[in-house]
Amino acid sequence: MGRPRGFDEQAVTAAAAQLFAGRVYDGVSVDDLVQHLGVHRNSLYKVFGSKRGLYIAALRWHLEHRLPRLAEQLAAGVAATDDSVLDLLLLAGVERAPVDTDVAALVTTAWQTLGQALHRAARVNGTSPTALSTLLGERLLARAAGPTGDPS
Amino acid sequence: MAQISIAGDDLVVEIEGWEKLWSLKSRLVIPLVNVRGATVDPGIAAEPKGLRAPGTSLPGVITAGTFHQEGERVFWNIRDGARAVVIELADERYARLVVEVADPAATVALIEREIKR
Repeated sequence: MGRPRGFDEQAVTAAAAQLFAGRVYDGVSVDDLVQHLGVHRNSLYKVFGSKRGLYIAALRWHLEHRLPRLAEQLAAGVAATDDSVLDLLLLAGVERAPVDTDVAALVTTAWQTLGQALHRAARVNGTSPTALSTLLGERLLARAAGPTGDPS
Repeated sequence: MAQISIAGDDLVVEIEGWEKLWSLKSRLVIPLVNVRGATVDPGIAAEPKGLRAPGTSLPGVITAGTFHQEGERVFWNIRDGARAVVIELADERYARLVVEVADPAATVALIEREIKR
């Protein structure tokens, strides 16, 4: 089926991932997507099928393009340069995974990737591994501490 | 208002009440394999709808029938659009359906459950 691509699908997917990392799924309307992604409504539907189609594409993009760097840093035992990577996953895990098996599967994959990275770091350093729940909990606490001047 | 259900491997869209007169079509049956997704989208009511043929458009009152826009055929059946759901199709007469339903979130969940991603 020929689907005209009037825009850079990767860039739109990346921008959607950023939008969904800052706001809950139900808090992002199609109007918001059209406005923030700079894509016509009809094109959005034509390419992604639905808002959920775009969300899952964004989550996949995130796992493919943003998660690996964090996992590498964790595995190497160096400080994470950007742990906001966890935000989309935290929101997805709390809000969407319980009601969407496709999202649950992707989030589970992400947890496995991070868990393996933490174990690898522990093997290298000869220490006991940091628990995944600690990693996630620390990011949650940092978010809960309030805005820190970070515009996102 | 549209009544949306799944019967076997088909999505069934039924237009209820007087509105079926305006849209000149009261029932659409679409194989689920041709359904690409569904979205809650009240904002679409404010979008340009294209050329109507055939159907009815009384701005602010009802938009019903077949509309042509950018080479696509779109089926509309909404009043104010507050409960509008957009159903994207493939390999069908219509590129998408824009219909008003009683419970948009439940309708979208019902349809999206059937979509392989």
